[in-house]
Amino acid sequence: MRQTTRRALVPLVALALLGAACTTDDNDTTDGDTSPADTDAPEETTAPGETTAPDDTVEVVQGAESTLDAVIAADVVRCGTRDALPGFAVLTPEGDHVGFDSDFCRVIAAAVLGDAEKVEMVDLKTTDRFTALQSGEVDVLVRNTTWTASRDGGEGATFLTPTFYDSQGIMVGTDSGFTTITDLSGVIVCVAQGSTTEGNAADEATRLGLDWEVRAFESVELIQEAFIAGQCDAWSSDRSQLVSLRSEFPDGPEALTILPEVFAKAPLAPAVADGDTRWAQAVNWAVLATIQAEEFGIDSTNVDTFGDTADISIQRFLGLEADGDGGPAVFDPGLGLPTDFAFQVISQVGNYGEIFNEHLTLLGLERGLNSLWTDGGLLYSPPYR
Amino acid sequence: MDRRRPALLAAVPLTAVLSTRVPLWRDVRVLKWVLQLVVVGLVVALVIWLYGNYVENTAEQNIPTDFGFLDNPANFQITGNELGANQPVRDALYQGLLNTLRISVAGIVAATILGTLVGIARLSSNWIVSKLATVYVEAVRNIPLALFVIAGLLVVVLGVFPTIQEAWNLAGLAIISNRGVAVPWFVGAGFGLLAIGAVAAVTAWLAARWRSSVSDRTGVPPRSGLWASGAFLVVFVIGWVAFGYEWTLPELDGRQTVGGIRIDPSFFALFFALVIYTASHIAEIVRGSIQAVPRGQGEAADAVALSGFQRMWYVILPQAFRIGIPPIGNQHLNLIKNSSLGAAIGYYDLTLVAQTTVGNGSPAVPVFALTMVLYICISLVTSLIVNYANRRSALVER
Amino acid sequence: MSATAHRSGALVWARRNLFRSPVDGVLSILFGALSLWLVYKTLSFVFVTGRWDVIRVNLRLMMIGRFPDAHVLRLAITVVVLAAWGGFLAGFIRARQIRSGHASDERVPLVARLGDVAARLWLPAVVVLLLLLLSSTAGPWIIVGIAIVAAIIGRLVGPFAGRPKLGPVGSGVVVAGLGAVPVALYFYVVTAVGFDDWGGFMLNLFLAVCSIVLCFPLGILLALGRRSTLPLVRVVCTTYIELVRGAPLFVLLLLANVALGFFVPNSLAPSTSTRAIIVFTLFTAAYMAEIVRGGLQSVPRGQIEAAKAVGLSPVRQMGYIVLPQALRNVIPAQNGQLISLFKDTTLAGIAMGLFELLNVAGAITAQPDFRGQGLIGETITFAALLFWTVAFTMSRESQRLEKRLGVGVR
Repeated sequence: MRQTTRRALVPLVALALLGAACTTDDNDTTDGDTSPADTDAPEETTAPGETTAPDDTVEVVQGAESTLDAVIAADVVRCGTRDALPGFAVLTPEGDHVGFDSDFCRVIAAAVLGDAEKVEMVDLKTTDRFTALQSGEVDVLVRNTTWTASRDGGEGATFLTPTFYDSQGIMVGTDSGFTTITDLSGVIVCVAQGSTTEGNAADEATRLGLDWEVRAFESVELIQEAFIAGQCDAWSSDRSQLVSLRSEFPDGPEALTILPEVFAKAPLAPAVADGDTRWAQAVNWAVLATIQAEEFGIDSTNVDTFGDTADISIQRFLGLEADGDGGPAVFDPGLGLPTDFAFQVISQVGNYGEIFNEHLTLLGLERGLNSLWTDGGLLYSPPYR
Repeated sequence: MDRRRPALLAAVPLTAVLSTRVPLWRDVRVLKWVLQLVVVGLVVALVIWLYGNYVENTAEQNIPTDFGFLDNPANFQITGNELGANQPVRDALYQGLLNTLRISVAGIVAATILGTLVGIARLSSNWIVSKLATVYVEAVRNIPLALFVIAGLLVVVLGVFPTIQEAWNLAGLAIISNRGVAVPWFVGAGFGLLAIGAVAAVTAWLAARWRSSVSDRTGVPPRSGLWASGAFLVVFVIGWVAFGYEWTLPELDGRQTVGGIRIDPSFFALFFALVIYTASHIAEIVRGSIQAVPRGQGEAADAVALSGFQRMWYVILPQAFRIGIPPIGNQHLNLIKNSSLGAAIGYYDLTLVAQTTVGNGSPAVPVFALTMVLYICISLVTSLIVNYANRRSALVER
Repeated sequence: MSATAHRSGALVWARRNLFRSPVDGVLSILFGALSLWLVYKTLSFVFVTGRWDVIRVNLRLMMIGRFPDAHVLRLAITVVVLAAWGGFLAGFIRARQIRSGHASDERVPLVARLGDVAARLWLPAVVVLLLLLLSSTAGPWIIVGIAIVAAIIGRLVGPFAGRPKLGPVGSGVVVAGLGAVPVALYFYVVTAVGFDDWGGFMLNLFLAVCSIVLCFPLGILLALGRRSTLPLVRVVCTTYIELVRGAPLFVLLLLANVALGFFVPNSLAPSTSTRAIIVFTLFTAAYMAEIVRGGLQSVPRGQIEAAKAVGLSPVRQMGYIVLPQALRNVIPAQNGQLISLFKDTTLAGIAMGLFELLNVAGAITAQPDFRGQGLIGETITFAALLFWTVAFTMSRESQRLEKRLGVGVR
């Protein structure tokens, strides 16, 4: 009998702990006495990320080791990515990762370590990507991830400059007869688990007053299987993902139609873990260098010809000797990156336009919002000085 | 004793010889306590180190370590469970728990029935039946459950079940497609129906007791089973009508089913996998238990001219189950724990809900700690029930 | 005797086994039809409608994952050396058994011995043959051929090491030597190709073997700790066992995948495969502890009392008297647990993304050449066949071991 009573005590104790943990949030204003749970409530009901966001930028703990130093010491950048999204990141049978996001991983490696191949690609599932970043398994996440407020806040990620400004769309079978989003009533819409697309789809259904059942799947392969089997009527994701997956559909791209309506902003940006400003800024400027290079007209084919340019801003950018106040000197903004990091990035990987053209143009994606600000798009790099 | 002491020592009192103190480092009592303290100290030190790392790592990134995330909106729907995207995480976890319990109960009932039948079939004198059962058990027992789960979804549900446009309609009672199975359901409060069911069950039990007492007094066959079922049905129907419950039948309407309730396709895949896998294990246990019943029992049943069915039902099976309750209870526990594999095929059990909330921004460690606590609670409650059943059915030996 | 007698023998058998009563007859017909239908479906799937190209093309991926080409030679050498080692071990054990009197010394004719081996190993042999037939290069044939020869040579050499009298030092040297061979092979392979590039069925086998080897000592310690008279030790062990047994393995793997990074500083964070092995070991050790505890309870008290009476120290009591009997008594339960562990290595693929066989089976159906054709049925069937063969062989060998050791027979 002793064993059973002991065994019975454990769930009771656990339940008691559970109850205690769960009830501390509910005592807001109705409880007039200063019960212990009450005094705890004010601290716990404010969202955890709230109190720290404004201070984040100045909260660099002096003396703590930044990921930048750890990466330089380890001589490899661990980049969180995926293995099967055509155009963005695909694992070839030879074992290389090829794609838009994979190239940006190489951009970071070229900038920080001087060699674009010193990158270790870590394939992550959609549901695991933030915990991998938080726990330090990867140094940076370049995985067509949408920048949202809650991810900056409670999820412990810091998003950098977006590499792809996107929005969410819906794809249906061509023979289903749906031509516009308002046709979709009483349908099953399939999305990927753990992504913003789930919540966005539900919100959009409510906004339009349509009756959608949103089913989430663990991976795009499962969505494809379900779609082919007829379990899904529509497939919702970032438009760039839809274009990419449509291009590889087994029955051919003509079997799928992407509906013209888009909803919900989806800026895809690289992310690093919270609390590490040096690393965040280093990665950010590595990415911005590709945009700035396109603005200057520098690409991987002509970067060597700029050795004797007279343009001071290009000289500073490429880490060449520039005439400054105290005589000729190489410009070092103090980011912790080598002075010629932009040169390495452009010569080893390429500028933004080259990366885009090599991977995304053949899928049918146009520059659109992802053009330079001089062409009416959103890509704008702060000045390098 | 006195014979052995040399004469020389006769002058030395016995106590002086025997009271030599054992040095501290060899004293068994001291060593025992030192060992215990060292072990506990190591464990505590390990826990403190782990916890310290955890606090440090989460503080760096301002990840919350409390349970405040339970109030955040879940941001995902659970199909067929009325969980809207804006309901808090605690509701999602509660639905996940309910889903786990649903598949566990359904799976346990079906697996036990199937397993018992197959176990009896293995011992059948009919060569084909016993060989078929043997092949089933030996084949299924050695294949990992994960393969069955994935096959259940990708091969059975997506492969065999038809699309919604060509759904199988079983006489209006069920509509089967790869979007789920729609079955008739009642309209009204669920708890009310459970209450009616409980009252009906009590009435049935009372009826059975009454019949057995009548049988003791007068000697007529009790037929308590019949009377109990009859009482149950009567009370249930009266309650149903009195409280105004109704049936709705499912109907196909374009790409949806209207009416009734639609059971998730991943529920079926998981149900199919769990039942087939667990039934094979239960079949082995049942076979072993039946073989462990003394042969004399079967021979006595034959001598009293009981038919084959009566022999099994009244003599062999009750004794076999007494032997088999602990291992079968263990298999039930395994089924409950194996239901967590539903996460691999999109069945929103507790594990998948936990994974999804973590993917949506809840802090990982508190969520998974909560999940583990819930699973441990379920396991402990189940083993309590199994132990109780075991003790109730145990032979009282003098 | 006569033809009619023979014929009626079959009829008699049919009547007795299939048509004993009307109900029996109906069941026979029903289930007979069902069996025939199942056999027909299976055969047509295997030989006619199944599209096995996906297996043929990806066999390497399924067996060894993305193991780099440059180092496959090391794997081949490992297989051959392991075969030789296995043969040596078999010969050595047989010689020791003859020496200690557990087995007879009579010269069994070679044909009978070969027949015995064939009866034991025909199933794995058939599956290996199937794999060889599916492979597209000559390499695997050569490796298997050399491995068989090496195993035979090892078997012939083994008895020579087992015959001479070995004192404790000699025994220790031999045991250490035998144990060192797999460890050395492991390091030989892992220094060339790190853990994280291993994959396929090889990874399943390796995870299982590592966890089995590591969980035994831990499980025995926990079982002894749980029965200990020291209250604190008992509480610690019991808590651990009950907590680990209550949680599903899948959730523990998810937890390890997600949470380990928080609890351990980055410099110490183990790779994914190592985490899987740690979780499997800790999980199985708790179950092992319960099984061993049952075994310890099954040893009659008289044995311990006799050991005390003869003057053995507690450690020697445990090591020479109690544990051997306890472990022998629970071989069936232990084997069941180990087979479960082997099957559960598939969960590591689902929970942690390790590239083991089930994961590969799913991944190859997404390759550009094979996607969208519903080939998952074929790949899962193949994976099921591999798992089934190993598990079935394990359980048959265990039954043989039980019979030889006389489990359940006083």
